[in-house]
Amino acid sequence: MNGQKPNYLTPALIGGAIAGILSGIPVLNCLCCLWIIGGAIVAAYLLGKDAQTSLTSGDGAIVGAFSGVFGAVVNSLVGIPFQAMNLAFAKRVFERIAEYGQNMPSDWETWFNRGAGPFSVAWFLFGLVIAAAIFAALGALGGIIGVALFGKKTSGTPQAPLPPPPQPATPPQP
Amino acid sequence: MRNTTKIGFVYALTLAGILIWLGAIFLAPYLQSRGITFFRFVYGCFSTVCHQKPTRSFFIFGHPLGVCARCLGIYMGFLAGLVFYPLNRGLSHLRLPDKRLFFAVSAPIVLDTAANVLGIWNTSNAIRFAVGGLWGVILPFYFLAGIGELVLRRKKL
Repeated sequence: MNGQKPNYLTPALIGGAIAGILSGIPVLNCLCCLWIIGGAIVAAYLLGKDAQTSLTSGDGAIVGAFSGVFGAVVNSLVGIPFQAMNLAFAKRVFERIAEYGQNMPSDWETWFNRGAGPFSVAWFLFGLVIAAAIFAALGALGGIIGVALFGKKTSGTPQAPLPPPPQPATPPQP
Repeated sequence: MRNTTKIGFVYALTLAGILIWLGAIFLAPYLQSRGITFFRFVYGCFSTVCHQKPTRSFFIFGHPLGVCARCLGIYMGFLAGLVFYPLNRGLSHLRLPDKRLFFAVSAPIVLDTAANVLGIWNTSNAIRFAVGGLWGVILPFYFLAGIGELVLRRKKL
């Protein structure tokens, strides 16, 4: 195994961007934490693709954690314009269901109001820190899974040619 | 410090972390039922990883849990797998599970999630909880192997 450390940054950025964008888009964000884990798996795959030798599960944890942090930043930024759209869409669905006399869960209005309200930079940054910590843990898990699935290689270093087998000694001629 | 002790430390921290996480999931509706406004912060933390739709969540104290049924299943499954881990592997082995086992336990949650998103079927919260739990059980076997390897590697550097 050579002493070179893998380049974690680029795969983590790509995996985090994928996870952050998809988890921020309406309708698609119904997959909850699976996007973060999926993005970290992608990051581990990209890391393994460029690596000269097999990755360890610790490498997966590192690239996955970075991917999670980047994903949290992207998700927070993507979520700003989509938040109002998400709530408006869901509210229309619930109101339509209520028109048909279906039993509504008791907390659906509280759920809407929780996401409403004016934008606050302080709360945004605080939410970002919380999200980064949670996404990092989930991302580490995803990275480890990714390495387990994609990180193992057959030997990538060229083997030195083996010496020829010793010739059997010929008996002296009588 | 011996390797087993270090891995045991990682195990203990992970166990404490998932217990706190699950505790907070159940704490949110309790706080809301008592009118303690801190419940907004607790729900807000989980909103980063879950849509928290009331129709997809279990209720206690008259309010939805902090996460949906599928997410709850994953986290409860994680706890179950974590409790089972020392009985299966001990704390001296950091071997990752077989790929085929991962694909086998992932298939139900992938199929169920895809079918729900595409509108093919609409599963109940109990089914979502069950497929989430099945997948969650295998996750600690990856998490502990990876974090344990990282901890042991740092000692060698």
